[in-house]
Amino acid sequence: MRELTAVAATLVGATLLTTYAEPETALLLRHLYLVPVIVAALRFGLIGGGMTAATAVLLDAPRVFATIERDGLTQPAAEHLITFVLLIGAGALVGRLAAAAHSQRQRFETLLAVQRALTEEAPLEVALQRVRACLAARLGVGAIGLIVRQDDRVAVAGGGPLVAGSLAAEVLETGRPQFVPDVGGGARPRRAFVAPLLAAGEPIGALAVEREGELTAAERGAIATLAAHCGLALENARLASRQRRFTEELAERIASATATKSAFVAVASHELRTPLTALLGFSELLAKRTFETAEVQRMSDVMNRETERLVRIVDDFLDLSRIERGFELRLSRSRVDVAAAVASAVEVLRRAGSHELVVECEDALPAVDADADALDRILKNLVSNAMKYSPPGTAVRVAARARDGAGVEFSVHDAGRGIPPEALPHVFEPYYRAPGVGSARGAGLGLAVVKSLIDAHGGVIDLESEPGRGTRVTFVIPASLP
Amino acid sequence: MAMWALEQLWIPRRASVFSDTPVALVVGLGSAWFAAASLANAGWLPSAVVEVVALTATHGALLAVALAWGAADAGVRLPQGSAAITVVLIAAGATAGALHEWGGLALMATPLWLAGLAFRGRLRGLGLGRGNSVRPIVVGGIIGALLGGHLLFSASQTLGYPLRAESWLIVLTRWTYDLGANVISAELFFRGALFNRLQRRWSFGAAAALATALSLIRYVSDPLLPGVVEVVVGALFYITVLGGINCWLLWWSGSLAPGLLSSALFFLAYRLLAVG
Repeated sequence: MRELTAVAATLVGATLLTTYAEPETALLLRHLYLVPVIVAALRFGLIGGGMTAATAVLLDAPRVFATIERDGLTQPAAEHLITFVLLIGAGALVGRLAAAAHSQRQRFETLLAVQRALTEEAPLEVALQRVRACLAARLGVGAIGLIVRQDDRVAVAGGGPLVAGSLAAEVLETGRPQFVPDVGGGARPRRAFVAPLLAAGEPIGALAVEREGELTAAERGAIATLAAHCGLALENARLASRQRRFTEELAERIASATATKSAFVAVASHELRTPLTALLGFSELLAKRTFETAEVQRMSDVMNRETERLVRIVDDFLDLSRIERGFELRLSRSRVDVAAAVASAVEVLRRAGSHELVVECEDALPAVDADADALDRILKNLVSNAMKYSPPGTAVRVAARARDGAGVEFSVHDAGRGIPPEALPHVFEPYYRAPGVGSARGAGLGLAVVKSLIDAHGGVIDLESEPGRGTRVTFVIPASLP
Repeated sequence: MAMWALEQLWIPRRASVFSDTPVALVVGLGSAWFAAASLANAGWLPSAVVEVVALTATHGALLAVALAWGAADAGVRLPQGSAAITVVLIAAGATAGALHEWGGLALMATPLWLAGLAFRGRLRGLGLGRGNSVRPIVVGGIIGALLGGHLLFSASQTLGYPLRAESWLIVLTRWTYDLGANVISAELFFRGALFNRLQRRWSFGAAAALATALSLIRYVSDPLLPGVVEVVVGALFYITVLGGINCWLLWWSGSLAPGLLSSALFFLAYRLLAVG
């Protein structure tokens, strides 16, 4: 208001001075009109500059028109008319430049505010409300809405649900800004403009503004630029949030892996220590004392068994290490007779004499395309697992049957304590030991290695278990080509 | 606030600017004017009759088109034969004015009839209705008074045109013509109908420029305007300023009333000058 009064006072002052001054002095004093015109243009922009210039021309026109009427279009009169053109030109030009500078500054401030609003981690809807509040306070439009599409859902701030076929839906679909000069129904035209929010050149949402009155092309351009920046800011916030979540997840995984490794080191030490203790004890006894041949034979059998166990554990470690480093297991594939492989593996374990091992192989099974040693390890691992987790004296059934065109399906079925349902998804993970395994020995490597070996064969493995009823492990090895 | 852009189905506008024009009536009025002029040229009709027909055809056509466009845009139904009644009222007023110096007052029947329509909400498509806020009307009044004052000052003091202070009857009858036909037809058509339609399709600047340019053509080609250079230049200047301001008043307030008032006051100042 103060500036407006100053502009009006300067206009009146210039008019009075030019009216009452000598004609020659008045010709010079008419340039005083430039002062209020430029001040108004700088303060109020194009409209302010233009209107002040028009008022100045209206105030000064009677003088020059009278001169033209009296003396014709003389040189001073022509210069006076040129002054009018200069006044209007200066008002319009300075006003336009001032408005552009003001708009640019406002855009940067708005963008800064938007980025500040997105610094705090918040759900998408809350972040959108914050951005919308920032924009609403600065853009000076009647209504403002933000839509963001993320992971097949659309979040909206500042309006009802997004209607298919609406202007915003069209922009979201095409990524092109749309302008509707009048949405209809009002005494004044209500302009609507929707600009896409862009991230990496793709529309991730839309910024919709509506205003009763004018929404100039320059304003629409500024809003479209702002929308593109908002899209980037939202995308950056989303990526930062994902990065934070990823880091947290990674930290959790590292902590979990560290705990698992620590547990594994404890279990593995125990697993290695047991056969080593037996070997150390018997070797010391053999070195210090003399035994009868039968006793030496028994001791060497025990030492042999413990050495085999050590070899098995070390083999498992090596295989797992290879798998974890991303190397494929080396297989030496050939035609393997299924019935013979099953019989051989079961025969070795039958010697323990703790369980009844039942073999049920179909007649005329096709040969499989497998590494014989690997298949032997798979079978021994599964059967020894079944024996380990089922009470002594119960039966462990090992079966093999042909699967049409797919190879041979092996199954190992025990009547043991079973596996809790919550443990089932993890049983094939390395170092994992299901809760409630009690004093049963093991490093949590067996099933992980078995699965890796079967995967390397191009086969599949499945495990079904019912607590208290037993467990059935089924796997398929592809048949050998005839 | 509800957001149209999100919540409403978008159907791109296809209607032309000239849709809903009462073509038959406009062509009929134009033909009547042409026929009257031809008959007068042949000496079969007095020139006064041609003046009455020309006045009726010009203002009647502008008002008929404005009424039709306004009703269509606002989705309201006008009483049956509204356009014809308006034309008849103008014709009656013009005839009365030609027959007697006080007869021109009959032209006031047209704004009264239109005021009745506006009061019943039938002219809201043109920005006329009940419940206008006072502020824009005051602003319109001030602008009309200032522009009229400027005209009086510059024309009487610098160009030497005298005031008609003594012949108030002439001032009153001519101003009655402005109120009853000239101002209402210009404002209802060029601002209420044409500018209103254009600003709902284009920017304010483009709409105001075209509406003002067309109104300028209508005034400059008016045979009632004296053919003196300074009057024509003055008309160009003031009609441009008045047209632009009235477009802004309608855009700003959503009402045609401020523009009607500013025009009425400006033309009062014009009629106070002994021009023509």
